[in-house]
Amino acid sequence: MLAKYVARRFLASLVVVLGVTLITLVLMDRTRGTYVPGIDLNPALRPEDIARLRADLGLDRPFYIWYLTWIWGVVHGDFGRSMIDGSTVMSHILDRLPNTLELTGTAILIGIVIAIPVGVIGALRHGSKADHTLTVVSVAGFAVPQFWMGLILILIFSVTLEQHGLPWLPSSGAYSAVNGGDFIDRVEHLILPATVLSFFYMSTWSRFIRSSMLEVLSQDYIRTARAKGMSERRVVYLHGLRNALIPLVTLIGLELPGLVSGGLVVEVVFGWPGIGKLAFERALQYDYTTVMGVTFFATMLVIAGNLLADLLYGVLDPRIRYS
Amino acid sequence: MSRDEVADDKGFEQFEKFLEAWSRRDFLKRAGGAAAYMAFLGGAVEFLDACAGNPNTTTTTAKKGGHVVEGNFSDIRTLNSMLSSDTASNQVIGLMFDGLLNYKKSGDLIPALAADLPKQSADGLTYTFKLRPNLKFSDGQPITSDDVKFTYQLAYDPQYADVASPRRGDLSKYIASIDTPDPLTVVIKTTQVFAPFLASHGLYGILPKHVLGSLSAKAINTADFNTAPSVTSGAFKFVSWEKGQQVTMARNDNYWAGAPYLDQWIYKVLPDSVAVTNQLKTGEIDIGPVDPGQFDALRTTSTVAMSEFGVPTFTFYAYQLDPTKPAGPLFQDKAVRQALLYALDRQSIVTAVFFGHGQVANSVEPPISWAYKDKPQVVVGFDKAKAESLLEGAGWAKGSDGIRAKNGLKLKFTMITNAGNKQRESMLTVMQQAWHDIGVEATPSLIQFPQLVSQIVSIRTFDLFLVGFNWSADPDVSPLYHSRNAVPGGFNGADFKNDQADTLLDQALNTLDRTKRKQLYGQFQDLMSDLQPSPVILFNKGIYGVNTRVQGTDFGPFNQFAQRPWNHGVWVTDGK
Repeated sequence: MLAKYVARRFLASLVVVLGVTLITLVLMDRTRGTYVPGIDLNPALRPEDIARLRADLGLDRPFYIWYLTWIWGVVHGDFGRSMIDGSTVMSHILDRLPNTLELTGTAILIGIVIAIPVGVIGALRHGSKADHTLTVVSVAGFAVPQFWMGLILILIFSVTLEQHGLPWLPSSGAYSAVNGGDFIDRVEHLILPATVLSFFYMSTWSRFIRSSMLEVLSQDYIRTARAKGMSERRVVYLHGLRNALIPLVTLIGLELPGLVSGGLVVEVVFGWPGIGKLAFERALQYDYTTVMGVTFFATMLVIAGNLLADLLYGVLDPRIRYS
Repeated sequence: MSRDEVADDKGFEQFEKFLEAWSRRDFLKRAGGAAAYMAFLGGAVEFLDACAGNPNTTTTTAKKGGHVVEGNFSDIRTLNSMLSSDTASNQVIGLMFDGLLNYKKSGDLIPALAADLPKQSADGLTYTFKLRPNLKFSDGQPITSDDVKFTYQLAYDPQYADVASPRRGDLSKYIASIDTPDPLTVVIKTTQVFAPFLASHGLYGILPKHVLGSLSAKAINTADFNTAPSVTSGAFKFVSWEKGQQVTMARNDNYWAGAPYLDQWIYKVLPDSVAVTNQLKTGEIDIGPVDPGQFDALRTTSTVAMSEFGVPTFTFYAYQLDPTKPAGPLFQDKAVRQALLYALDRQSIVTAVFFGHGQVANSVEPPISWAYKDKPQVVVGFDKAKAESLLEGAGWAKGSDGIRAKNGLKLKFTMITNAGNKQRESMLTVMQQAWHDIGVEATPSLIQFPQLVSQIVSIRTFDLFLVGFNWSADPDVSPLYHSRNAVPGGFNGADFKNDQADTLLDQALNTLDRTKRKQLYGQFQDLMSDLQPSPVILFNKGIYGVNTRVQGTDFGPFNQFAQRPWNHGVWVTDGK
């Protein structure tokens, strides 16, 4: 039963992958104009050069031919080479992946660790001053754009602190340019971007935990547990929280692609050399192959994340059966 | 006191503890000796620079050792000098690969790997280069005439036709043959006299034949060498390229001009110009290009020295001159073109949009060029009354709606530029207002950059476009103004066709004598000042911020990006 379910989901996801990559390609192709990826406007370039360079990249052919060629490569495990620098798309993705995992992994972890107690406190002290304060903070987390928060943090913790001779935090990159890369150095660079990103996760998830906890706590079986004289601690954490966390699994499952495509905005603002920044840079340069590679990768992860969340449901909640 | 407030206090306490621990670490950085320094090496270097007060600038003798971090906001794309076309790549290539020749600040040529400027044959077709004796690549192998020939072959020899070089068009057109009678002599025969040949094509970084020579043309496009060159010919050698983050280079002890003082030169990729300014302030980077809008923010920073100079980069707008296009008929009369320019207060644009960091020019040639004519035949200043009288005189009278018209044709058009470029967007707004004041309705429209390029070089249905452009050190401006480039794919998108202009440009290209060329370009500038097919709004200024601990940089109009003959002489006062 389960195997059949997974197989059907997999087939359905193929359609999604094709759709997403095709739309990506068409959008790039329609907005590119006569621009040749990787070649800057340059008076020494003549029409025949431009035509030749376009042909080298296969851009003289209609986009559907290009697409079919690309698909053929992907089916054979070949994502092609970047149109900008000639190195393989896979090497680009693998180069950036560790950095992105470092950032988003940390942010998601911090997000969960903070969101659970925040959500639980909000639900238990429903309507109290603490609840209101946490609500305001969470809403701010949704409402404040990440790029703005990033710039403000840079202004305060890098520029202003440094100007006053106080200890300050680096504002961009994953490690120092010179002799960087040891553990402490990486943590220093991680603090600001991870703060921005985890603030967003924390805000989203704590709201969900709060409302789902409220719902669970009003259930009959909670009342029964209390009536049996079970300690409040056991009621809340064993019976309440476990059930309240089920929806969070979906949310975190949906964040799995975020683990890779990352906080694109955060990566760009902090010059974090991750996948999100790669996609952003290369989209602006019309590096078809790299953008398509990242898109493919991210789409697969969305699908995998969804599937994983669905399957975990079955483990966590025995009421759910797959058919 | 409620429970919540207690919780808050606890949080604050922890934050204080954190801060304390933090500053303790920094105290160690400052007070500790070499041991503490080594222990906290990561990040400590920048910190010391930022906190140690003014660096020692009284030392006059250059010190060995240390590093420089140069910041910029584009990552590089390739490190192969014959494949690159973008400024960032060329800049890093310039640190690792030397060409036969190089530029002085003024754009005049000086020898680099060549021992001297080449001897030119009487007919102007043949250039004979002598290489410096005992040149070596970073791996100790000799640099010979074979390597020079091989480098150029990649872009002109039909057997390398599959190498995706953006230089092939020019090189295959102008190079007839390259001979190497001995290891130190390179003889380049050209197909025709072409004055900018050396300035345009004498500077490509020389590549090692012993590394790339065995590869096929196709394999060269994707060679590992392009992203991690194992052997270099310039002041530095390659260490690593961490994509999206930085390129690290180390001293090349085999460099012909002597080993550089610095141990390392690091090219660091930053998110944007604001980050460049911030990190110049914090000392995270030592060198970086400064946006005009950030100039004042940095001027007050005592650890950063600023240098500012004219550059051949400019912003111009062009009228649609093709009479078959919708807006073409509006701009056929030069009186209209001149009138619109008279109505623009370009100095105010420089002040308001570029914070004064730019220069209004009376010519299409950059003021820093030896060919620049400051007082051409017609000098157009800001003169609204003159603008209106020119339009009246040409028969464009104001209608009831306040818009001028002639024979039922309204002086009304759309101006395009690329969305996202704030300076250009502001300029269009200023132009809209200035022209509205003389009865002309011009509407700004913002499109994506690739589409703007398509409009200029191929589709060409625009009314008026505003864009930036950049000249090389040679004063040839035919890409924008010669009728042969008014074809699809050419840069003369405005469709400016003038026989006299064509003749002057061609003559100047085929003349090698600088005095004669200057005369020809003078005549050309006179003609253009009268016709005004595409007026230049301003020539930009290059601005660089350099940390005061860094000595020996000398930025200038043509020593900005790839061409920096002083790279190997840069040193740091603190030796770090």
